[in-house]
Amino acid sequence: MIMRLSAAGAGVVGLPAILAACGGDDNESSGSGGTAGSGDLAKFSMQAAWINDAEFMGYFIAMTNGYYATEGIDLNYLSGGPDVIPESTLLSGGAPLALTTPESTINAIVNDGAPFVIIGTQYQKNPIGVVSLAKNPINSPQDLVGKTLAVPPANTIAVEAMLKLSGVDKAEVNIVPYAYDPTPLVKGEIDASIDFTTNVPYTIEQAGEKATSFLLYDYGFTVYNDTVVVTKDALKNERETIVKWLRASRKGWEENFKDPDKYPPTFADTYFKGTGRTIENEIFFNNAQKPIIEADGGIFSMSEESIEANLAALAEIGVKGSRDMFDTTLLEEI
Amino acid sequence: MSWSRLLRGALVVAVVLAVWELVGQFELVASGALPAPTDIVRQFWSDRSDYPPHLSVSLKCAGLGFLIGNTVAIAFGSLAARFRTAETLVRGIGVSLFAMPLIALVPVLLLAFSGTTPRVILASMAVYFPTFTATVNGMRAVDGRLVDVVMVAGGSTTDVLRWIRVRSALPHIVNAFKVAAPAALLGTLLVEFGGGTRWGLGTYLLGSLGQANPARLWSIGLVATIVAAAAYGTFAVIAQRLTRTSLSSTVSTALTTQEDRPWWARVLAGSVSAAVVLGIWALVLRALDMSPVVAKSPLAVLRYLTSGERADGARSRLFDAYGATLPLALLGLVCGLAAALLLATLLSLRPTLGRSVLPFALISQTMPLPALTPLIVLVFGRDILATVVVCISVTFFPSFVTISQALASTPPAAIDVVSVSGGGRFRALRYVGLPGSVPALVTAARLAAPRALLGVMIAEYLATGNGLGGLLNESRGRLDYSMIWTVATTSVVVAVVITYVIGSAERLVRR
Repeated sequence: MIMRLSAAGAGVVGLPAILAACGGDDNESSGSGGTAGSGDLAKFSMQAAWINDAEFMGYFIAMTNGYYATEGIDLNYLSGGPDVIPESTLLSGGAPLALTTPESTINAIVNDGAPFVIIGTQYQKNPIGVVSLAKNPINSPQDLVGKTLAVPPANTIAVEAMLKLSGVDKAEVNIVPYAYDPTPLVKGEIDASIDFTTNVPYTIEQAGEKATSFLLYDYGFTVYNDTVVVTKDALKNERETIVKWLRASRKGWEENFKDPDKYPPTFADTYFKGTGRTIENEIFFNNAQKPIIEADGGIFSMSEESIEANLAALAEIGVKGSRDMFDTTLLEEI
Repeated sequence: MSWSRLLRGALVVAVVLAVWELVGQFELVASGALPAPTDIVRQFWSDRSDYPPHLSVSLKCAGLGFLIGNTVAIAFGSLAARFRTAETLVRGIGVSLFAMPLIALVPVLLLAFSGTTPRVILASMAVYFPTFTATVNGMRAVDGRLVDVVMVAGGSTTDVLRWIRVRSALPHIVNAFKVAAPAALLGTLLVEFGGGTRWGLGTYLLGSLGQANPARLWSIGLVATIVAAAAYGTFAVIAQRLTRTSLSSTVSTALTTQEDRPWWARVLAGSVSAAVVLGIWALVLRALDMSPVVAKSPLAVLRYLTSGERADGARSRLFDAYGATLPLALLGLVCGLAAALLLATLLSLRPTLGRSVLPFALISQTMPLPALTPLIVLVFGRDILATVVVCISVTFFPSFVTISQALASTPPAAIDVVSVSGGGRFRALRYVGLPGSVPALVTAARLAAPRALLGVMIAEYLATGNGLGGLLNESRGRLDYSMIWTVATTSVVVAVVITYVIGSAERLVRR
């Protein structure tokens, strides 16, 4: 590749064009699955909350099986990571829709006046929990007193809420950063970590230990996770596309849960290729998340009681949200 | 190098590897968190098909950043070498980029840009300083007589630039590429790790972290090390061919400054260059037309800290964080310099042993720290000790290079004096080498100080949760964009101030 770079062209002005050269292979796109030319499809981007794993099965299936294409959407799927704040992608115009947590979204609306609306939720019950070893079990928030707990940055608020709701003084727990590696827990360097209870127990058992866990949800932190958030702008201008996205994504999740063992292996050479994780781990994850994603009102639905429970739990820690931050009318249009 | 010395060197490497293997096999360190070399190789072999797609994306982004960063650095360096005013204007950029704690920058870059852009930007930032410095030094280090020849023959200053300065600078610049290439790769990996892109070695590392598989983490880290070493070696060979003369084969790290200026002129120059950096920042944000919720201008950061209802709380949290971080950074700096001095002394007393230990010291430079975190916390805990260890690993290498250079350039006549009066190698070092290397130690301190701050922040971010690194973590969790920008900018300002202060001390010592 020959690139002629004048001193001036290498400045900020010429940057975007040059940078495009190294992009391309970075995002997943649903365009390949559809038969229709992508010219007829509406471009639509979503920001996920983490790198590719079973947490996002429904969207991978909907892309592969052409559900988005059928709805007329060419989906640009952006994976996340520890320093990616999904809300930032919304604000910087990278995508009109993101999967994130209600506590961060409502915090941003209240503190910074961010123009967000929560239109659905992937997890009815937050899969975040306190994971420990069976031989040194932590069975309730009270057990954490005097222990070392590793917390990922994104879950700071959730942990504070759980401790407060259980009447445990934060100062009595030794909170350290969680660097996403269960090794210190397996080796006993820390007593517990905050992680997806649907995921990490598998790794711990592979490493020869037995894991035990409880959900923050069951100790008063009654909030969703992977809430579907859009900007007010998108809600006004792309409402129809968003409803179509919800319909196709729900179809993907429903197809997934017909047999949770079926799809993970089929993505071994696509979405799960080279992630550093194993297909067996994804199958475990997919089975474990089934009961907390499926809902009486249909996948993504938000009942009035559960919205109430979210607001009540967040109010306990001073995050004052309100009902109008949630919009259930799009789901009614599916 | 003679065959017997080569053999001795190989023997030392073999012994180190054998010890490492035993330690790994019998799980002697951190109950098995340090894997044996054979386990690492076996893991690499079973994952071999995973590497090409990750590596190719990382290399593409690092390469593009290398290209852009070096182009800008050479252009600015040439200007700075020619015009004094230009130097004043661009020097601040160089020092800021050098002193910037990259870990504070990643979240900000990810807020401001999407896709592969943050990687390319960080990689180009990482290469800028060494190349810029080398360009300025190389263009200035010309033989005055050669310039006279061109001028007498009727040449213009442009001809001097073309025929003499560029030629003089070229070996310097290629030497800087040796340092810049690994830096570009590490910068790319750092963003990939935080940025959750689909492909890249950093992403692979992040996905693998959750698997509690140290052999995989080490094999990813060693692949990065080998690539970095290959890039280093390639430019070393090219540089050697270009040099042909007796030019020093190491990058000069001297401050490119005019010593004769009074203090107020230096303060003025510093302020002007700081203003340039802040101006660029404000302009970039304006040009990108970003949401004011996410992107904070210099003024917005200032307002966040001084006015508004949250200012008091923000200020006290920030001061508390610096209160925890800065003393540790000082301690880490001292320990890092001591470690560098120790290794440099070893290398000067026992060259073969020193050279064989060097590759293992290099691993500590290119292994991505998140991969080592479990090992570090298991061996050293999550307190001051762990922080100091991370600090040493981040600071000691550049200091080591600077100090060794000084020890190696001890005048032979001075050593002769010692040997004639009956002293051995040790005495020569004690009475001549070490006293002579004091200025180098101060230079090393200047270069290492911003890295010590970075080291403490990394340790806080990954292991202890205190201080600035912990504040960064917490702000991310609370979606406190203002605090994220505040930590990023104040840490740059603090690092730059420290660099200038030690730079003044350096001027005094070198006088």
